[in-house]
Amino acid sequence: MASALSAFPFLTAGDFEWACRDLADRTCGCGGWSSVRLVTENDTYLRITRCVDVLDTIEGPELREAQELEDEDPVCKPPSVHGKARTWTTFDDAHSSFLTGGAVFSPTYQVPVLYFTLRWHNHQGPLGLDAVYQYVVPEQYRKELKGVGVIGGISFGYHPASGAPAFFVHPCNTADAMAQIADARSVTPGTYLIIWLGLVGHCVNLHVPRELVASDDPSPS
Amino acid sequence: MEGQTSLVSLQKSVWAGRIPLEIVLAPSESRSFDKTDPYLVCPLDIFEQIAFVDPYEISYPRLSYLPSLLPRLRAFFSPSLIEPSSQHHDGWFAFEGVPLKWHYPIGLLFDLYAGADPVTKSTVDSQEGESPLPWRLTVHFSDWPSEDLVRLDPDGMVMNDAFINSVKEADFLRNGTAKGIMSLSKEDSAGLWKSVEDINLSSFQRISNTLLPPLSQPFRNVPIRIFLPLPPDQENSSLKVVQSPMPPSVSTSSIQSSQSISSRSSPGMQLQTIGGVLHTLLPNLFPSRRTPVLAKPVLHGAVLPMSAPIEEVVRSSAYGDGWAYVVVRMMG
Repeated sequence: MASALSAFPFLTAGDFEWACRDLADRTCGCGGWSSVRLVTENDTYLRITRCVDVLDTIEGPELREAQELEDEDPVCKPPSVHGKARTWTTFDDAHSSFLTGGAVFSPTYQVPVLYFTLRWHNHQGPLGLDAVYQYVVPEQYRKELKGVGVIGGISFGYHPASGAPAFFVHPCNTADAMAQIADARSVTPGTYLIIWLGLVGHCVNLHVPRELVASDDPSPS
Repeated sequence: MEGQTSLVSLQKSVWAGRIPLEIVLAPSESRSFDKTDPYLVCPLDIFEQIAFVDPYEISYPRLSYLPSLLPRLRAFFSPSLIEPSSQHHDGWFAFEGVPLKWHYPIGLLFDLYAGADPVTKSTVDSQEGESPLPWRLTVHFSDWPSEDLVRLDPDGMVMNDAFINSVKEADFLRNGTAKGIMSLSKEDSAGLWKSVEDINLSSFQRISNTLLPPLSQPFRNVPIRIFLPLPPDQENSSLKVVQSPMPPSVSTSSIQSSQSISSRSSPGMQLQTIGGVLHTLLPNLFPSRRTPVLAKPVLHGAVLPMSAPIEEVVRSSAYGDGWAYVVVRMMG
């Protein structure tokens, strides 16, 4: 286990890389996310993919609320989120829409930033901000997120490593939030990343799988 | 550099910088002309032909952003468009087939892509040779390259948001917090963007001075991004950008260190220079921090002196969002 963070509530690029490797290692075969990949293109970052079950992609151009389905894969049993069973499928399932999110280190803010895109299998290119608010952002966060900044707390930008268009959740208050939530004395790069993902991922329905949180707590109290 | 006067006069020149543009409609989107028809070229006089645009706008400010050209281009090309229903915010630009990221100012895009030889002290009066000017761009109003470019909206909010996010990053680096920009009034926040859109330096200074630390107080970190040379094959058009926290001064004893958090000038500290930053971040391209050997740094079309202190560069020559975007150009 790595020692406490020197720059807390910020991360260093090295801490971030360490935490990404750790998380990618530990999430192999973990339920909840359909894939977690450590990418080392230009910089090291984490790419998490999950199926978005609110999009029905078979019926044509209109997006509508999808039904809740039981997951039939016993190996990859999804966690229960807000009391609802969710369906998780794989990245290349032709009939799914998927949310690709990822943690990227911000050299400006010195914290991880959540970048994500939402795709629909027969829609050319990533979906827009309206679809994100409608299908990805949980209702309880919508008003708050839309109320800040020029167009809200989710902005359009470009993934810093791939250069592809992506949304990102504004990172400017991340360090303050982490300072309030995490314990400066005991937080490690690994726990920092998981706490951060729990904090920011909520906004876009990218929840941390329960097993990951459990396995991260060495001494449950 | 000698104090505030030179900073201000340099900033004036930077804000006055312009690039002549020649913009053609994508041949595939034009119903009037085929690919080879010379009428397709609507060069500098594009602006002279539109009554409501002053003729001096033959060239476009380096600090401006491409989307601000779209309404007038849409109007100008409307008789030729195959798809007459397209709107100005469907418009996007390409240079030699590469879609141009509209959230970067035009001057940066030019320095990155146009292949123009940067100006130096010795060449400034002898620019008679081959010129890439006017810079020839293609405008499209359909087939948005959604894998390459973020879509625009009719009201310009997406562009405005991208600008403010960039300002916020610069503010965070300078002050260690983005509270300055976040506590700007709605009016001033909109005014800052408008001042850049209008290239109105005095209006810009009024608002940005509330964000900048006073001259007597150094930046915490200096908002500077280094753009690496593009690979010659252009297969992968994604730009390589290098950025790391850069305090305005470094300890003379540990001049190699780029991780230093301290930013106050004090005994044993010296001002961080452009050459120092390049040598620290890109030691292979910049083996010396004093002399450009393999590559040279370019800002606003000019070669930056390696000895220029980075805080002065940003205070005098930043783009409207507060950043110095330095393009690395290979030599020889």
